[in-house]
Amino acid sequence: MRYLWTFRAIVVRFLIELKRYPLNTLSSLATLYIVFLILFTGARYAQGLGVNLFGEGLEGLVVGYLVWTFAIIAYSDLSWELMREAQQGTLEQLYMSPQGFRFVSASWIVASFLVSLVWIAALLGLMMLTTGRVLRFPVGTVLPLLLLTVAPVYGIGFAMAGLALVYKRIQAFFQILQFVFVALVALPADAPWGKALPLALGTRLLGRAMADGETLATLPPLDLLALAGTAAFYLLVGVAVFRVFEGIAKDRGLLAHY
Amino acid sequence: MDALVVADLVKDYPTRKGPVRALAEVSFRVGEGEIVGLLGANGAGKTTVIKILCGLLRPTGGRAEAFGVPTSRPEVARYVSALLEGSRNVYWRLSVEENLRFFAGLQGVPPREARRRTAELVARFGLEEKRRTTANLLSQGMKQKLALACALVKGTPVLLLDEPTLGLDVETSHELRGMIRELATGEGKTVLLSSHDMGVVEDTCRRVVILARGRVVADDLVPNLLALFRTRAYRVSLGDGLPAEARARLAAQLPALRTLDGERALEVELPPEKDVYALMDALREAGVAVDGVSRVEPDLEDVFLRIVRGER
Repeated sequence: MRYLWTFRAIVVRFLIELKRYPLNTLSSLATLYIVFLILFTGARYAQGLGVNLFGEGLEGLVVGYLVWTFAIIAYSDLSWELMREAQQGTLEQLYMSPQGFRFVSASWIVASFLVSLVWIAALLGLMMLTTGRVLRFPVGTVLPLLLLTVAPVYGIGFAMAGLALVYKRIQAFFQILQFVFVALVALPADAPWGKALPLALGTRLLGRAMADGETLATLPPLDLLALAGTAAFYLLVGVAVFRVFEGIAKDRGLLAHY
Repeated sequence: MDALVVADLVKDYPTRKGPVRALAEVSFRVGEGEIVGLLGANGAGKTTVIKILCGLLRPTGGRAEAFGVPTSRPEVARYVSALLEGSRNVYWRLSVEENLRFFAGLQGVPPREARRRTAELVARFGLEEKRRTTANLLSQGMKQKLALACALVKGTPVLLLDEPTLGLDVETSHELRGMIRELATGEGKTVLLSSHDMGVVEDTCRRVVILARGRVVADDLVPNLLALFRTRAYRVSLGDGLPAEARARLAAQLPALRTLDGERALEVELPPEKDVYALMDALREAGVAVDGVSRVEPDLEDVFLRIVRGER
């Protein structure tokens, strides 16, 4: 039960901080929508000129943007949060939980994932209204696919957070990664190397589920296996990198210094 | 049973020029219900010891345990909570109550019990009016109280306090001292307190461990340490000052004499063969008007400085 109460406390804190700054929350959603509008206008203009910027049409744009948004939220929720905790001195207190820091950070990820789903649903609604295209949202297929698609991003978030514990000021690197995610979402996932990269294959499979109504049963099993393997690989490597840097930080006494 | 055991603890910090030794075989024990002061100059190793005891820092060698649990294991947090670096341990965007409930939850305390402990601590620390105020809007003293309350809400038997009165005004510092004493006497908590404020340590701790350059240079009860440096020195307040002739006559009888406060007082260290009556006789014979005589007692600050300088 101790684990449950710790998990509850972390989710409640996440929600309180979200609620305390409603303007910030709403402006983040508005910014994401405005960026989408710019992309959508550009895509329509290009289509008018006979250029199809998005091979899979507008549905591809919507799904790609949705995955990118989810990835950015997941990545920043974890890595920025860990940096913020180190900066304000509360990271040490999180390390002093009897349930262990790994459980605390995993709880944070779950809270972030659940809240991100609400965001994504709201953004999806707005995007469907704007484009006039209706996308399906079969929860049983989309949720596991979404989880497996963003799992590598959590891995990257962990690795970055570990780097930040030791090297501190690496925000510029953080921001560059957001653009790398755009490239990953847009990459073709037909080649084996494309399937091995984060986000690429997941975006394609989500597109097929949301635009064409495919389910886990109809999607290629090998692709699903590759997606699960990629998710596990990047997540485990990210956590391992975090543990290495966490050990260095504990050796050098850097957990609270910023 | 010992609440805390530190045995042959060594900590080297890696640097580009090679490892720097912060702790060199530090050993001490803290019994259950004891309040022990950890003293040392900047860089003596106090915070390093406290962070190793919290499990936040990995020792290079030696052993650190709380109730028999090695501090490298997360379970040590069931026994130990800490207030580190003053009030930096609270969430500034959460209110007083939200902070307390969060830290109780982080410890694994069920919500109902967390609410009960929160209400009790809010009342005990006089934070009722501010219970819904976010921490960033509290005064320094209130932030410090909240940080201490957040450590207490976990309900651990051991509390590590690193500079708990840092930046506090005299009144709040005194209030917090009373609360710290109450933790041991009223609740049986074990407290290891590190502070540069000797008043706080002398006021709250029964025993002190003094660190210098990463080594334990003293570990004793406060009265024993004070007795180490007790002298036969007396301070005499003079009604009309000390004329040159009187001074010469006194100096002939009492060589260890020095004047203070612009010759309105003098301090004399009596040799073994003389007592306070001999001092009074000498003063009368010199024709000095005496306002008062008091024994010069060393305080913890004197003791600390003299031990660190290696006088004992």
